[in-house]
Amino acid sequence: MSAPPVALLAELTYRCPLRCAYCANPANWRDYGDELDTATWSRVLREAADLGVLHVHFSGGEPLLRHDLEALVRAAREAGLYTNLITSAWGVTRERLAALGDAGLDHVQVSVQDSDDARADRLAGTPAHAHKIVAAGWVKSLGMALSINAVLHRHNLARVGEIIALAESVGAERLELANTQWHGSALAHRDALMPDRETLASAQAIALAERERLRGKMDVIWVIPDWYEDAPRPCMDGWGRRFMTVIPDGTALPCPGAHGLPGMVFDNVRDRALGAIWRDGADFQRYRGTAWMSPTCGTCDRREVDFGGCRCQAFALTGDAARTDPACTQSPDHALVRDLRRARPIAPAEPEGPLYRIDIRRVVRAS
Amino acid sequence: MSGDARRPVLARRARFRWDAAREQHVVVVPEGVLTLTEEGAEITALLDGQRSLAAVIDAVAAAHPEAAREALSIDVREYLQRLADRGYVTLEEP
Repeated sequence: MSAPPVALLAELTYRCPLRCAYCANPANWRDYGDELDTATWSRVLREAADLGVLHVHFSGGEPLLRHDLEALVRAAREAGLYTNLITSAWGVTRERLAALGDAGLDHVQVSVQDSDDARADRLAGTPAHAHKIVAAGWVKSLGMALSINAVLHRHNLARVGEIIALAESVGAERLELANTQWHGSALAHRDALMPDRETLASAQAIALAERERLRGKMDVIWVIPDWYEDAPRPCMDGWGRRFMTVIPDGTALPCPGAHGLPGMVFDNVRDRALGAIWRDGADFQRYRGTAWMSPTCGTCDRREVDFGGCRCQAFALTGDAARTDPACTQSPDHALVRDLRRARPIAPAEPEGPLYRIDIRRVVRAS
Repeated sequence: MSGDARRPVLARRARFRWDAAREQHVVVVPEGVLTLTEEGAEITALLDGQRSLAAVIDAVAAAHPEAAREALSIDVREYLQRLADRGYVTLEEP
């Protein structure tokens, strides 16, 4: 019997007022507009708590676009869950944050795109940065825990020091410096977003030094850049092992990108209880444990350290989701990553034009 | 950790609870879970914001008459200091 999940990622909507090019939502995000209603989400949250989930992360898209967010936070807290809101903070008022706090919200994670208004707003495609900083202050003054998250890539890595200073100045207790992972829109924009090795190395040196300086005051988390390490990311800490994702239309997934994989048998929380999906849903079983692994992974002594890496990346690069993640130097396909890294034309450090998240339906209509 | 009159209290962002699915006490924090030993759970349960550090040590010592008070006192201080270093426990002045 599989151990219970520790965390539920509740992607309430894929709608978002920001248009960040590195977005991990699927390119056809508009096809998921049939969102779960309040009652169904409330049931899912209770089922999650019963199953052993401790954290719920309300995310998206932008979860603030759901007018029932306060009700969902309350339902989660009543079920005993620790509640986290992952948000752009776009347009949020102090009154709404206070209402969310009253509903039991424990922790708010606010994204920033860069360290100054002009650059951050250009990356977000929305004038949002100045308000984010104000809203982060409200989170603190209302007594909720605050994290800042910055997704890092070619166009902001050089300012990692300024981003750290910004997070420190707003009083964040945690800062996630998350190097872009190559999924969804980010994958389509890979050539424009991929940093060069020197910029990455300087940024990492700054981040690790600042982490020491800020120890005990602000947790600085450096999420390792994929493609520049010898070992792959231990994606989701293993498939169907610790994390469960429910996307806006109710599909339950082992990772937030799994619906991009072929041949999966998706269960929907509208039809089945969360616990049954976790325990014996076909897609949760598919890459759980080590039995599915190729000999490369199955005989490797790191098989239960990085779990074969990322299934979505294996599929995106090799066409076979069950292969070893090509980001691993032991992968027979590692030359793919090496060649892509080498062949990539160096994009300018400042974006030349608008660079926004992919929107397949909009593209189709325009053509 | 000096100042035994100070009152140790769990930070608002850290929540102490029983994890029924895994049959253990935990402190849930943003993006993480601290799994507690039985001793850790016993100490954490005493952090009600009313008891001083001295009173917490007294209560642990009372529950363990077999143990040397001096050793218990060191254990309690070390445990609380570890949580305080990570911002999960604060020490309120009396």
